[in-house]
Amino acid sequence: MRYWVGLCVLILTILAISFVVAANINVLVPSTNVRTLAEIYLKYTYYPWDKYFTAMSPEACTSIVWDFRGLDTVFETMVFYLAIIGAIALARGVPLKLPKEIKGDLGLSLIVKTVTKIVPVLIIAVAGSIALHGHLTPGGGFQGGATAAVAPVLILVVFSQFYLLRRGVNKNSMLLLRSIGLTGIGITAFAAVLIGLATGHYAFVLQNQPKPLAPDISLPAFVGGQLISGSLWFFNFFEFLAVAAGFTIVFLLITLPEKLAEAREEKRVAEGGEK
Amino acid sequence: MITLSEYFMTILITCMIVNLGLALYGVFFKPNLIKKIIALTILGDTANTFALIIGYRMWVAGVPSRPPVFTEWRSNNPLLLFVFTKTAVDPLPQALVLTAIVIGLAVTLFLVFLTLQAWKIYRSVDMRDIRRLKG
Repeated sequence: MRYWVGLCVLILTILAISFVVAANINVLVPSTNVRTLAEIYLKYTYYPWDKYFTAMSPEACTSIVWDFRGLDTVFETMVFYLAIIGAIALARGVPLKLPKEIKGDLGLSLIVKTVTKIVPVLIIAVAGSIALHGHLTPGGGFQGGATAAVAPVLILVVFSQFYLLRRGVNKNSMLLLRSIGLTGIGITAFAAVLIGLATGHYAFVLQNQPKPLAPDISLPAFVGGQLISGSLWFFNFFEFLAVAAGFTIVFLLITLPEKLAEAREEKRVAEGGEK
Repeated sequence: MITLSEYFMTILITCMIVNLGLALYGVFFKPNLIKKIIALTILGDTANTFALIIGYRMWVAGVPSRPPVFTEWRSNNPLLLFVFTKTAVDPLPQALVLTAIVIGLAVTLFLVFLTLQAWKIYRSVDMRDIRRLKG
């Protein structure tokens, strides 16, 4: 009862304060215009009439993330992987191995398992679509990777960890996939420079379309009539691999079976380790 | 005289400020580490929503503002691009929030691992117990 009274008082207070504030000042309402910087981003995100300033991607968010402010995103990727690496380092020594024998049935009931056989395929398909169309529609590597990482979580909960481990989704294979993704991001970032070195032209790191100081080097915006926006498609694809694999490792480690952890702890104490 | 949309917008922002206060209270004063992490995620989401509100554009004459995706790019029509520039919302906060959400998820997982480690060592996730067991 006291809870409901408190909740009602809180809601009424918020409504009253809002009324007083809205009646007196007018600054809380967003303007009908955006900042000039935003208009420049919106104008040049797909602007085939001036190749020197555009990212050739209709999706303004992706062109900001991987072209206009590409270096920011590289460092953000670094922060992301430091957090993942920290989590892996904290979980060091966790035995991600198949037990010798499994007693009884693992996982949830047959109905849930049958549904889960279908759903992860759809999740991966949607995630791939989000990531690979990131330069055309809302989405991109980060979102697609985070979506794809939901599929292993679902399998972990419904089928148990051993189901994934038996099919080769373990820490090492995911670390390999993650490393492929990160290497791909690095190669794509230096692609224009490498082409420039090979052909003897001036080029920038993280360059996508030609720039006023580097007019000769650019990554192709169209391949076979399909818009791929130069480096953006590759960045999205490799970021998708890296994010999906990074999250899968952490989810695998975090669903460590309780009994295994306790057995390991007891073994460590029995061997003379500190409690 | 206030309009309904202004009132709703103010309610939204007031709720966000209250949310911010509750989340900060949770981070500072809740002793349970899991509850601290939950409050931290609420704090992060509130901050992200504030960033999105900064980049929002008011509707003009009942026409909704558009997401920052230029869907008519095949037409190669500069006039459509001009209309798009005048009706789409600010893409920069969205781009920053996009990465902030994924990094926030990774940092949350890292904190969960820290809590798991604390539970393994101290058999407790309560800050008062852990402080007593220190050293």
